[in-house]
Amino acid sequence: MIETIRIGHLLRETAATPYRNLITRPTGAAVRDRIEAALAESDCVTALLDFSDIELLDFSCADEVVAKLLLADPDRTGRVLVLQGLREDQHEAIEQVLIHHGLAVVAVASGHGDAMPQLIGWVTADARSAFGCLCESGPLRSFQLAWALDWSDSRSRDALGALLAHRLVRAEGELYFPITIA
Amino acid sequence: MTKVIEIPAHLDDRSFEQFTAGFGEWPPEGKLLFDARGAQWASPYGLIGMLTAGQALAEARQERPLFAVPNSTDVKSYWSRIGFFRYAAELFELHGKVPKSSASGPSDALLDVTPVRAMEDVHEAVNRISDTAARILRAELGLERTATGRFSMALSEACQNIVEHAGTGGWVAAQTYTFRRRLGRRVAVIAVSDAGIGFRRSLESTHAKRFGERWGDGAALEAALIQNVSRFRDPGRGQGFRQIKPFLDKWEGKISIRSGTARLAIVPAWDEDVPLSEHLPFFPGAQVQITIPAHEAEPR
Repeated sequence: MIETIRIGHLLRETAATPYRNLITRPTGAAVRDRIEAALAESDCVTALLDFSDIELLDFSCADEVVAKLLLADPDRTGRVLVLQGLREDQHEAIEQVLIHHGLAVVAVASGHGDAMPQLIGWVTADARSAFGCLCESGPLRSFQLAWALDWSDSRSRDALGALLAHRLVRAEGELYFPITIA
Repeated sequence: MTKVIEIPAHLDDRSFEQFTAGFGEWPPEGKLLFDARGAQWASPYGLIGMLTAGQALAEARQERPLFAVPNSTDVKSYWSRIGFFRYAAELFELHGKVPKSSASGPSDALLDVTPVRAMEDVHEAVNRISDTAARILRAELGLERTATGRFSMALSEACQNIVEHAGTGGWVAAQTYTFRRRLGRRVAVIAVSDAGIGFRRSLESTHAKRFGERWGDGAALEAALIQNVSRFRDPGRGQGFRQIKPFLDKWEGKISIRSGTARLAIVPAWDEDVPLSEHLPFFPGAQVQITIPAHEAEPR
């Protein structure tokens, strides 16, 4: 199940402002609190944070909202976080912040459920290649990924393990699934 | 006896040092007269720097300084439009006729002089600049839409520094103008200034030990701008300036920060500024200037 959380809606509720600028740490922390409250009441597997109503996102809010959500007890729920509707400058702000923390998240384009997901943040080059391969091919076992990329099986397992640790893919038994919202 | 602080005819981040040298020991003793009669032009940095001096004197409980307004009608009118006199009247005893801002017409500034005392003021500044900045930055500087977003992000981070670190209020202003002497192109400039404790005192308790005898205003600026340290333990803090840097690199932008007796700059190829200046005359708080030049068309 996917729970869509419209960040612009939460911002308007939190800051009581007609503007769509998600800026300053206190505002980011307040919006994060709202997101956490919404997720606490949800049994969703995937939380889709929709930024399409946001005009400006500064580094402080990228850190307070996205990085701190990812840092908050990652194993507690096993929930996957996906970002949607990011503009180029917002994408860059989040990417810089996540690289600083050694974190990564999946992003999808707004209104394009079938568009290729993107990785934002820090992952190894192998993990990034594995993610791209899974998105193009669909669910794969480790040895299938190794064949597809002409890797050793251990290299494939390491890359998938890294993606799984960051909750950038899903695993069911030996099969690894790309994150989809379609 | 009244001490005269001469306002340079062209007051910007460079001639600011002439201005600061006029104070001598800080806080200066006795009555001060800020003599701006010969002023011909002032950048946002210069304007909010003067307000910062007035604020710092008020907070140091010094006698309310005098301020002789520019003789030039055009200069007075511009300073009025951009909101300088509105706040100067609270900090100085103004001498000379000041045009009402309503009579001077609307300002063409990216962001008029705006006080920053709380996070709400940061929102106010960013919201105000967002309304006009995109249009002006695209039309006058040829910057793409994403660049205008980053410009506002830089403004937000610089203003948040005041609220989180200064321990008092400050000021922000932004404007576009032509940088004839140094660049020959139009630039957009964000200036942020506060009268607070400065970088050295803000970082001293957490970072001075590491620097040992080197610790001072210059080392504190280096720690903040180059090493991205913060007084907060939160590992996400101290990244604001770091994250502005890629944007400055991409657009050949420049950032300079002055605090106490030092000034540190990340200097692009078009400028001849020195990266680090130390042993400058003391000036309270911190002054930041971010300069983004117009996009130069690719040669055919």
